[in-house]
Amino acid sequence: MRRAATGLRWLPALLIVAGCAVTGSAAPETSSAPTRAIPEARGEIRPLPDGTREALRYAGWPKTDFGRFRTYAYGDSRPEIPVQREAMPAGGPGDPKQGRALFTSRAKGPCTGCHLIPGDDVWPAGNVGPDLSTIADRRLTNEYLYQQIYDARVVFPQTAMPPWGASGAFTPEEIVHLVAFLQTLSGPRPPEKDPDRDPETRTKPVGFGDNLDPTNNPAVLLVEGAEAQWKARGPAGKACADCHAGGADAAMKGVAVRYPRIVPRYGRVMSIEDFLSAHGPETTGTPLAMESEANLNLTMLVKMASNGMPVAIDTESPETRAALARGRAGFYRRVGERNHACADCHTPEKGAGKFLGGRFLGDVTSGLTRHFPTWRTSQNQVWDMRKRMQWCMTPLGMNMLPADAVEYAEIELYLTSFDAGKPMNVPGIRH
Amino acid sequence: MTEQHGFSRRSVLGTLGVLGAAAATGALARPGRATAQTLGMQETLDAGLKRVFGGRPIKDAGGLVKLDVPLIAENGAVVPVSVEVNSPMTPSNYVKHIYIVADKNRIPIVTRVAFAPEAGQAYMGANIRLGETTDVRAIVEQSDGTLLQAKREVKVTVGGCGG
Amino acid sequence: MSDIGKVRVRIPSSIKAGDVVRVRTLVIHPMERIERDAQGKIIDKKYNYITKVTVTYLGKTVVSFDTTQSVSENPFFSFAFKATDPGQLKVAFTDTVGGKYEGTADIKFS
Repeated sequence: MRRAATGLRWLPALLIVAGCAVTGSAAPETSSAPTRAIPEARGEIRPLPDGTREALRYAGWPKTDFGRFRTYAYGDSRPEIPVQREAMPAGGPGDPKQGRALFTSRAKGPCTGCHLIPGDDVWPAGNVGPDLSTIADRRLTNEYLYQQIYDARVVFPQTAMPPWGASGAFTPEEIVHLVAFLQTLSGPRPPEKDPDRDPETRTKPVGFGDNLDPTNNPAVLLVEGAEAQWKARGPAGKACADCHAGGADAAMKGVAVRYPRIVPRYGRVMSIEDFLSAHGPETTGTPLAMESEANLNLTMLVKMASNGMPVAIDTESPETRAALARGRAGFYRRVGERNHACADCHTPEKGAGKFLGGRFLGDVTSGLTRHFPTWRTSQNQVWDMRKRMQWCMTPLGMNMLPADAVEYAEIELYLTSFDAGKPMNVPGIRH
Repeated sequence: MTEQHGFSRRSVLGTLGVLGAAAATGALARPGRATAQTLGMQETLDAGLKRVFGGRPIKDAGGLVKLDVPLIAENGAVVPVSVEVNSPMTPSNYVKHIYIVADKNRIPIVTRVAFAPEAGQAYMGANIRLGETTDVRAIVEQSDGTLLQAKREVKVTVGGCGG
Repeated sequence: MSDIGKVRVRIPSSIKAGDVVRVRTLVIHPMERIERDAQGKIIDKKYNYITKVTVTYLGKTVVSFDTTQSVSENPFFSFAFKATDPGQLKVAFTDTVGGKYEGTADIKFS
């Protein structure tokens, strides 16, 4: 009894210390374990001559350093952005026009990513959050709306709404303008001329057709190069084919459906991509760095050998159960400037099946991994699951971990548990 | 004749000739006095239509031209378009060309497909790029010179966490 | 992109004499888009994109596409031809930097 009381007494002090830590501490720059990823995929942050820092990411990705905000890294013990109750600043009312500009600005939310408002120019709004087209009719006070935007967790502790003020994404003045704008949105709703404008009535995406047709999916054509690589001698004088006889299709049949799994030799959860990056140098001598073209092509080759077979990962061994638990915790962990968890978008209770801006959100429970690596038409590239995960949180204000980080691997393990029993179908083709 | 803008009539024609020749070889990336046959020009929709079709009337195709485009394109990089024209494709009555036009593209005349009657069917498909939400048109030129058009709006979804 | 010019031509598995056959093709090609600098000015360089797709059947051109930078990267094309005799169908692509690529399909009747 006494021990328990002692524990509780320490708690407020711990919270205060943690709160101070958020504003002052530097994030661990990368996962501490060594990485076998290409330079753009390592999650590195570099200092610039003027004292600021920039992130080294893939070509075309933002260079912003989000080091202030916590990541998935197991060593990152910083808490979420602390919940902040904040009074609306005194002074004049905000400007609704500025508020609307802020609401729709792609440099900010945009708020329309989750919330529909009136306007022919509003394309494409999402419905992860409630439709705000007539919010003024609810006669909520300015102060209530201010707090909702500043830090909605004060009102709804489990909300997916980012703490825009507490994170500093919006200034108090900007939030005042947003409130003024919202208070102009009263009914009656203008008649909807176009059912696709409203995410509730919008046509769902139909996909890009047959992913295994080489005249439809460029990735299928590109995998043919991997067949040659399978037989090519690496620096150590050996080829994959030397140990794995009979062609990749026969030798690798049934292999990929067991991944991700704990590989005893490396003592951690590995996907096919992770494994190849370690296995290649040790056997043929070929680097097969994580996120390299060689790694992606060979991964597709290996996975295609299991196409049609049901995903069958181990979920029972004690070590795997522990890894699954960590992966699940990662899936639900709130990270980054937006304070989002994967679960906020990809569970049926939250965003799955809804539109985030123009993007239709996938449901983790339906299995989201068995078509990876996938061709991405908007990028004209093959993306594996890790690059997909690295990208997800980048616009949401979180520095990426190395592509082969064990944290990503264990989240991937958790995701794959929902593909169990479903047929492998690689490479996919998606937007 | 009067001098205008400091050019004599002869030198203006000379310049036009050079530009026309350059355009015909596809060497120009910018709008210029290109021939009607040149594709790949950055121009406004109106300038492009005028250049390629002159003032020839373009009639609504009604049911003769089936234009297949998605209602919403998830991204502007790959938008599948296909066109099928109800035509006997005989030597005396066939579809000579199908033009695909994207009104708001910087290069609005996307592609021109030419057919011989041996094609058997006036059908084409291609994946095109759209810069933004826009009308997409199929303009069909028959062997007798008639121009028919079908058009549909394609909404293009941009950006977002999906990338 | 070392795979530039890889072509795949798909025809139906069973063709009868006189069928009007639809063909699908894909070619790996960057179809380089016009780039602009930070001020919005077009960067003057030679852009590499396919300008012509020529379909020949039994040696005669049946369909051709004049194409532009408004066509997608790794472009997909499809078209039809009337399969009158067994023989070769060829799809040839030409780009702005002298690249010439082709794919063929053997037309046989079954």
